[in-house]
Amino acid sequence: MSRFALEGVHVLDFAWVGVGPITTKYFADNGADVIRVESASRLDVLRIGPPWKDAMPGINRSQFFASFNTSKKGITLDLGKPKARDLVKRLVPWADIIVESFTPKAMRNWGLDYENLRALRPDLIMLSTCMQGQTGPNALYPGFGQLMAALSGFYYISGYGPGSCTPPYGAYTDFIAPRFSAFALLAALDYRRRTGNGQYIDMSQYECAMQNLAPALIDYHATGRVLEPRGNASARYAPHGAYRCADEDGNERWIAIAVATDEQWRAMLTVLNTDSEARFATAPARIENAAAIDQFVGSLTRIHNAHDLTVKLQAAEVAAYPVENCVDIHQDENLEAFGFWHWLEHKEMGPSPYEGLEHRMSRTPGTLRSAAPTLGQHNDEVFGEMLSLSPDEIEQLKKENVIF
Amino acid sequence: MPSELLKGFRLLDLTDEKGALCGKMFADLGAEVIKVEPIGGCTTRRIPPYLEDKADVDHCLYSIAYHAGKKSVTANLATEDGRALVADLAAHSDFLVESHALRYLDSIGLGYDALARKNPRLIYASITPFGDTGPGKDYNWADIITWAAGGMMYLMGEEDKPPLQMSLPQAGLHAGAEAAVAMMLAHYPREVDGLGQQIVVNMQACIVWTLMNEQAMPFLHGNHLTRTGIFTGSADARRKMVFQCKDGHISILIAGGTTVGNSTKALIEWMGETGFGSEWMRTKDWISWVPGVFMKLTEEDHQQIDDLETTIQRFFLTMTKHEIYAEGLKRRIFLAPVADVADVAADEQLKARDFWTAVPHDTLGRTLTFPGPFVKMSATPIGTTTRAPRIGEHSDEIYRALLGLAPERLTKLRAAGSI
Repeated sequence: MSRFALEGVHVLDFAWVGVGPITTKYFADNGADVIRVESASRLDVLRIGPPWKDAMPGINRSQFFASFNTSKKGITLDLGKPKARDLVKRLVPWADIIVESFTPKAMRNWGLDYENLRALRPDLIMLSTCMQGQTGPNALYPGFGQLMAALSGFYYISGYGPGSCTPPYGAYTDFIAPRFSAFALLAALDYRRRTGNGQYIDMSQYECAMQNLAPALIDYHATGRVLEPRGNASARYAPHGAYRCADEDGNERWIAIAVATDEQWRAMLTVLNTDSEARFATAPARIENAAAIDQFVGSLTRIHNAHDLTVKLQAAEVAAYPVENCVDIHQDENLEAFGFWHWLEHKEMGPSPYEGLEHRMSRTPGTLRSAAPTLGQHNDEVFGEMLSLSPDEIEQLKKENVIF
Repeated sequence: MPSELLKGFRLLDLTDEKGALCGKMFADLGAEVIKVEPIGGCTTRRIPPYLEDKADVDHCLYSIAYHAGKKSVTANLATEDGRALVADLAAHSDFLVESHALRYLDSIGLGYDALARKNPRLIYASITPFGDTGPGKDYNWADIITWAAGGMMYLMGEEDKPPLQMSLPQAGLHAGAEAAVAMMLAHYPREVDGLGQQIVVNMQACIVWTLMNEQAMPFLHGNHLTRTGIFTGSADARRKMVFQCKDGHISILIAGGTTVGNSTKALIEWMGETGFGSEWMRTKDWISWVPGVFMKLTEEDHQQIDDLETTIQRFFLTMTKHEIYAEGLKRRIFLAPVADVADVAADEQLKARDFWTAVPHDTLGRTLTFPGPFVKMSATPIGTTTRAPRIGEHSDEIYRALLGLAPERLTKLRAAGSI
């Protein structure tokens, strides 16, 4: 039995920033050999993105980059140079899967598009991921996930009411798309097993994002109704929101609470040591009076410790949890029990905190097998051992900035 | 036509809103997905909003969207016969995904160990809000609870108002998609040695994964963000990321450096053409201006950022979001409209890629328009092909064809309230 699920699978990874690297991370953490091809002349922007070890910037000091690139090997090639592209072509027969995330014309211009590469590996599976897909008038749209989160509709539905816009943090859609791309690639591997056929996968991060908004999009197309932001109000729960608790160390603390049934409502009141107001007795009445409920509940939670109140409410079968910040999630006892956090030893960063896997497999569990590569860390290994270049040849290619 | 990609594989879907997207993804790839639900239908059948506000199971938009392509059988898990039917279905299945309370299915003989004894190939995924071992393993759940527990809620909202959830709950969708990936990871070795396995998906961890680069800030920089409304970045590099325009909002990245600097320059040039902006903006070396990364912000930087943001705000108020986006595309500026679903539905790019998919709904007497496939695959196109099933619509078909039950037996099971 293999120790890891994807042992023996080979991935050549030309992707950068978020979606592509997170996609191939699923493979790397599950035992596939993933070689990340980078370029010093066109550095992955995450390599200079914060946070950095000791808050000091440097291309091998970014946890932003490190978190998305565990268990991979890293080589550097300047793909603008023909010799670098020749080296790529020598690696292609090794690859079951190639992933790239340049803007659409880049790989074509280098002669590294699917049609050319599959001449070297007929059953190749290749995924291209970019903002808006390989075709269409906006195929060349440049951008990051922050903008995609706005363009695809997530910013609009994040607000306290119509006209209010308070976006989610970061490049939200970068954390939707990788699950779809990894799923498609794994299925394509199985299809290849059954039929011998590889294929080309054109992934638009925009179109992936749409999957998480499907009910609202179907509704609009059918009826013209536009989903508006509505704060934390819900048609199913009241109270439903974040309620201020007692400050801790000068920091404000909040608890999320969601109450659906009359039993939960009464249980919550018991925990908060108060009586119901008659106008809130039934679920429809509570939903109708959600704003008043929010004030009422918020006035009661203010004296409580968020964590202790969570324990009490949950013991009474009421859905509740502290609104956790980035310090809290590292001390969270449920994430800890799951073994979520990993501290990995990185060549230049020393030990630093990495997010673990979001699932656990019983028989072939994946894990973070190694910290992210430093820029070009595995050049000698890959070019020397895999492509049998001599140390002199490698040295020469480095001098010519081909390996760069 | 269903996709050829996972044709011939069968998934039993025993999830609620913690995992409905998982089965939808398998169905999109051509697997046979059998949703097993209680006789009155699963809780996902009654999630508002409803199409045309008709509050019945056929008009539930969540079900319409996330049960499309599936089949539905009913089984009453409170009865011996109902449980036996599900066990038999599992013996004929490749995958099973569930999101019941922890250990509930074990307690009625439908846990992994019991089902794997009969079908060692089975890949069995349990979606949990907080994992299966910690103090919160039996916690009550609603989507907003995971949004809070995973750290995203803390980062959303205005400073003087409560933290926020999105107005279309997301946590269950992330967990469902994660289950789909995990099961396909387990599928690869299964096709080598014939053995399945058990998977536990942790929804809280799925939301932590949406925090991008924030999680390590406390350790590496000794600080962390709080919710800052329309601003982004740490105190050192705080930028306004959302601006008003004539008919809504525009999101834009304003920065220097090799990647975004050219976009900032292009914006300033565009503003200059209509009399907005000032000389310093046009002459500043935006490419080498990277405060917060390799340099500290000076007082002058702060003044310039204020000036630039004020100018951009006045400039954008002269145009609609569509006008700004169209010109931004031409000039390669890192901006996007804060699109609502109407904007998305009208988007030229999605239309040009033939994205939208018509799915006939005889149950509603109309055809609905769905988001198209999440990827375009050259050999095995994928996507939604059939509407969500009615509750128990395929009970007869599945129980007869797959389990070989005689019609009389089905009648009896029905009379006994098992299906």
